[in-house]
Amino acid sequence: MPQTKPERTLAIIEQPYRGSLETQFADVFYLLRELNRQLRGMDVALRGLGATCALQSDRRVELRVGAQAIDVLPDQERSVRALLDEGSSVWVEEPDLLALGATRDRLIEGVDCLARGATLLRWPNYHSVWFI
Amino acid sequence: MRAIPPSDVLFAVMGAPHASDMTTSVLRLTGVLLERSATVQVWTCGYATMLTHSAHDEHKPRNLIDWSREHPSTSTLVRNLLRAHPDRLHWYACRFCSEERGLAGHIPEVRVRPPLRFADHVKASRKTIFIGRI
Repeated sequence: MPQTKPERTLAIIEQPYRGSLETQFADVFYLLRELNRQLRGMDVALRGLGATCALQSDRRVELRVGAQAIDVLPDQERSVRALLDEGSSVWVEEPDLLALGATRDRLIEGVDCLARGATLLRWPNYHSVWFI
Repeated sequence: MRAIPPSDVLFAVMGAPHASDMTTSVLRLTGVLLERSATVQVWTCGYATMLTHSAHDEHKPRNLIDWSREHPSTSTLVRNLLRAHPDRLHWYACRFCSEERGLAGHIPEVRVRPPLRFADHVKASRKTIFIGRI
């Protein structure tokens, strides 16, 4: 057990994608960044499909609706990089990466790759664990 | 009562926004069909009725992290499509679902319809695509 009272919160993200055109900037990562600011720090475990957000990508986040081009869509990679810059730890478990056909060399720099079940072992280090 | 214009495709949109790719799929497919000269009608039920809520501003609330950037609301996206294709796109909202979910009203371009008329819209369309869970 940790020696001091845990202060940080762990967020577990299993369904990161919840819409594009209606959501735009206000996605789950927008919430995480605000919670990280308000609380005493928040770390993020990307599990299951959430692991897709831990990967580097060269895709362009833009689409059209009729004649209107929309380039203000959710950008999970940029959001994860911002979370890291703002002091959050972000990790995935390797089996989730492998299940997506991805490997750790595609991870965003700063995202940790843990062994299966390692997230659970970290729970006692946190004040709260939230499935968001 | 105004006749229902015949259409090539009816999207029956049942699910809630902010939960899946439903909203994006409907708007993109509608846009592409209109570009290909198709006639389209959209009927929203359940929380999908929120897409054209009259309380929406032209833009979403400000992004606190990127204050100067504007983001169109779904009402604006729908309105732009309707204005660009006034004769080939019609957007309807279910009255029961709207009232049940407390919607004060829809943007003026959207027609509110009683749920008992849904079958008439299906009949007026060559193909109906049901999307989302109510």
